[in-house]
Amino acid sequence: MDAQKLIESYTNDVARRLPRKLRNEVGLELRALLTDKVNALASDTGREPNADTALAVLREFGRPEVVAARYAPRGFNVIEPEHAPAFVKLSLACVALQWAVTLPRVATSAVSFDEWWLGWGAGALWWVGLLVVWFALAGWIQRRSPVDPHSFVRPWTHFIFWIPVARDWQPALPNAEELPYASAKVLVPLSAVLMVLFVSPAWFIGRLGVDGSWALYDAGFRRWLLAPLFALMVVRLVLFTLAAVDKQRRARTEAIRLALLAAFVVLLVWTLFRWDIFALTFTDLAFKIWLSIFTLVNGLNAVAWLRRLITRVHVPKTLTQR
Amino acid sequence: MAKTQEPTATKLETELRRGALVLAVLSQLASAEYGYSLRQRLAERGMPIEEGTLYPLLRRLEEQGLLQSEWRIEEGPPRRYYKRSAEGTRLYKDLAQNWRELTATMHRLLD
Repeated sequence: MDAQKLIESYTNDVARRLPRKLRNEVGLELRALLTDKVNALASDTGREPNADTALAVLREFGRPEVVAARYAPRGFNVIEPEHAPAFVKLSLACVALQWAVTLPRVATSAVSFDEWWLGWGAGALWWVGLLVVWFALAGWIQRRSPVDPHSFVRPWTHFIFWIPVARDWQPALPNAEELPYASAKVLVPLSAVLMVLFVSPAWFIGRLGVDGSWALYDAGFRRWLLAPLFALMVVRLVLFTLAAVDKQRRARTEAIRLALLAAFVVLLVWTLFRWDIFALTFTDLAFKIWLSIFTLVNGLNAVAWLRRLITRVHVPKTLTQR
Repeated sequence: MAKTQEPTATKLETELRRGALVLAVLSQLASAEYGYSLRQRLAERGMPIEEGTLYPLLRRLEEQGLLQSEWRIEEGPPRRYYKRSAEGTRLYKDLAQNWRELTATMHRLLD
């Protein structure tokens, strides 16, 4: 990865953490500043700007969450601005996980929606309160005993609460580029096997000489949903394989893959709430608990993916060469 | 005891400098400058400022109507150029006058 790509990756990381209206302007300004700094450092050492020079400048400049926080208005913060994204993500994840695990009981009519809401549903908001207290105490400790900016040594009090501090900034881009290829070697064959099993789990269990009647699909699901879900999974797997072999993230393929992922999540949610998947109630409930988590993970992945696509810093079209 | 004095001294010095930053920045923006060149200009004149302080400060001053900015593409990436607005120039003159009076007072106090 060259110096400019590192700078872009870094400014995108900062921009993602800024209020929407500031993202592009601040991102562009930072990109120009960092380019100047990297060029100046390279020129001082008599070399061309390279990844090492850029990484040194970026790390000295500060972690993206800290840089982004400098643009936030200061005052008394219950939750430190640099901790806010982690707080929001954790709160959403905890609430969503509790709902994902307990909501299938409503779908299977084991409890009514009202009963669920007054119990596990609204009860999930308890996590938010707990996390507010947690992050408020973490922020207070961090303000009282900050990390040494030179040695990065963290005071022992930071370990009382988990305080989200990374030692060095790491570029997201190289990992993201390498991920499909590295993981494809495992994921593609594994997914293919699981998809074949998905066509008729009862039949495959029967092949092992075990009674597979508990894994029979509900007739309605088999007739109306099995084929569309299977087709969608096949198309997604083919595109994933192509992207992995290509090793390039091409905008159109990425957009199609994201659209297919979104369609997949919508179809799964609809299946969860409107259909019986397995004929046997117990199997259906157990599978739906797993499927809820799977759907949640895929949904969060789709949102994160969309955010990555739309929060890249770009030169405004209105800007003309002087 | 000495251990606690050092961070306190640094903090007080930082606060002292912070008070002068707005005036220092306004003083150099009679003509348009972009962040990096402004920082170098200030550093050459003995007023180094961290980028992390300078850039948010420039944005705040612009929001307050004291600076105006525009994007330009010349060499390299697009850069945002800042200069004093009419209101910024008025405030700068007032602040400069206040600063001179304050330094004269401080000189008398310190001598």
